[in-house]
Amino acid sequence: MTEWSILWDAREVFSNGLIATVQLFVLSTLCAFVLGCALVYQLEHGNRLSRALRLLINLMRTLPFLILAYLLYYGLPPLGLRLSAWSAGLLALIVYHAAYFAEILRGSRLVMPEGYVEAAKAHGFTPLRLYLRIILPTLVIKTRPLLGNQLIIALKDTAFLTIITVQELTAAANSVQSTYFIPTQAFVVVIVLYWLISICLELALKRAARFGAKRGFDYV
Amino acid sequence: MSEHTHASDVPAVSIKKMSKSFGDIEVLRDIDLVVNKGEVVSVLGSSGSGKSTMLRCINWLEEPDRGTIHIAGQRIGVNEHAGRKMTGKELATVRAKTGMVFQGFNLWPHLSVIQNVMEAPIYVKGMPKEQARAIAIELLEKVGLADKHNAFPFTLSGGQKQRVAIARALAMSPEVILFDEPTSALDPERVGEVLTVMKNLSAEGYTMIVVTHEMEFARAVSDQVVFLEKGLIIEKAPPAQFFTNPKTERVRKFLEISA
Amino acid sequence: MNGQAWLLLFEGAWTTLWISATAIAIGVVLGLAIALVRMAKVPFVDQLLVLYISLARATPLVTFVLFLFLSAPTFGINMNRNTAAIVAMTLNTAAFNAEIWRAAFLSFSREQKEAALACGMTSGVFFRRIMLPQMITTSLPGLVNEMSFLIKGSPAIAVIGIVDLTRVTNRIAAVTYDPLPPILAAALLYMLIISALLKLQAMAEKKANRLAM
Repeated sequence: MTEWSILWDAREVFSNGLIATVQLFVLSTLCAFVLGCALVYQLEHGNRLSRALRLLINLMRTLPFLILAYLLYYGLPPLGLRLSAWSAGLLALIVYHAAYFAEILRGSRLVMPEGYVEAAKAHGFTPLRLYLRIILPTLVIKTRPLLGNQLIIALKDTAFLTIITVQELTAAANSVQSTYFIPTQAFVVVIVLYWLISICLELALKRAARFGAKRGFDYV
Repeated sequence: MSEHTHASDVPAVSIKKMSKSFGDIEVLRDIDLVVNKGEVVSVLGSSGSGKSTMLRCINWLEEPDRGTIHIAGQRIGVNEHAGRKMTGKELATVRAKTGMVFQGFNLWPHLSVIQNVMEAPIYVKGMPKEQARAIAIELLEKVGLADKHNAFPFTLSGGQKQRVAIARALAMSPEVILFDEPTSALDPERVGEVLTVMKNLSAEGYTMIVVTHEMEFARAVSDQVVFLEKGLIIEKAPPAQFFTNPKTERVRKFLEISA
Repeated sequence: MNGQAWLLLFEGAWTTLWISATAIAIGVVLGLAIALVRMAKVPFVDQLLVLYISLARATPLVTFVLFLFLSAPTFGINMNRNTAAIVAMTLNTAAFNAEIWRAAFLSFSREQKEAALACGMTSGVFFRRIMLPQMITTSLPGLVNEMSFLIKGSPAIAVIGIVDLTRVTNRIAAVTYDPLPPILAAALLYMLIISALLKLQAMAEKKANRLAM
């Protein structure tokens, strides 16, 4: 089949796209997770800043990811801030998913028994240490399935960036198909690649479940 | 305790040589039991003796391995005419002649109290809505819940739920009502209200088979008491005889512990 | 932004809404059908559906819309942009909805079924009158949640040239040379739509929790 040999010839386009997608995904989710955890720490304080952050988190939950990417890529240059498509996309991914990670952790924080916290306070933990050593690990173990879900959503959101001209995996398929007119084969390849990445993610998350299970956290 | 005469009638329930196993464990062996119209039969025995399974076989929620069961003269589970197992539809028509009250109430949570009672008459018997409503109103009055028509099950206490469940069973005018430990899931102070309703039903001549741990109820209300042990009926007697002069050592022990 | 710009924006919002609504309506029913077929556990068909669900959940909507729109003609199927968008969104959301329906199936209490059978209900009456109404109540929060996800994913259809609420901001900016106001206005409209859905979800959750008591 000649179409498949064309795909082989175009392998560099695919691999570049794949690398870009994985880079965007890994970098953005790492930063988003750290930022999300920091947001939840700030929310512990209940002052004016944390109320503003709550508002921002809720705002993100009502926006499509792409509109945020549009805002950063098309909306900021007139204000004198010009970002490349890649950095605008990365920044949008970080901000957007940080809000979702924070919301997931916050939801679990609300129903967390105060006993753990009081025990730690009674032992003289400082607020930051209390958060990092006691609260956050519990929240992360408890919300693992939701966090994992969010990771897969983040992976899929990277594909939106093709619309603001980032050269990632979906853009690679599009460029191969428009050069060689083999849309079916080109897209089957990238869909399978997305699929494989998310299967790997799910397997990793299942392994992570053992960590919690060993400590008596129950999952369905 | 019923005033009805029933000598010439077909029995409400007639069980012959019924056996049932779960895997290797035989839970019922050669059960024979006849329950006449208007009779109340209490089924006693320690947990795991097979009481509930026996009850659940009567309306084919569990399928017995051997033996026959007739409800008001009609064989359940097997279509004798066609010589095969009953279809779901055929089974449903026989089950419509029995009512069941469960330990865990099993009210349908998406329906209000009165809808719970009206549901089966309308959708099983095809009764007009207004008629079903009239019957439901009357029955809820009978179980003392006239003021709860539009309440949803989650707002009721256990005792109230169980009384709705009894009204639901009565609404089908069943030949027999099967009670599967109806008071075991209730708070102690709620047990009385359910037993009172059941006593009234027996006085009205309803046919009932009651799996229970309530000795006082069994003694005061039943016509027959059946004692199960390891899947066998080891004693079957009127309450006067059962409670004062049991034939077997096992029942004597059981009564001593329960007293 | 002048009146003309707002008019364009509302047109874009309308496009987003009707295409999403169509996909949601078909996707909810299709999801139920898939869940029902999966409960029947037909060999081969079941594995096929599992594969479909797994693929649909892992494929970005952008990629899937492009794939459908570009490759359908090579199979001799001519789809216009709107049809391709609706089909892609429907197949995407149906996979998620099938899982939501299935969870409701699997968690349904055996006791309630016994109560229905003991009254003489047939399985058909039981499903229609007892099980389905409760499955709708328990699934609704998840289904509404998936609806807001689908609307948040709907800008994907811009990739095949549909002028939806996101893409229309490019159009307006091409005339006004000022992209910020239309983007903010579009964001505001999304906010209204999705807030309404989140509100609906909260209400549905309240009702579902009542059922679980």
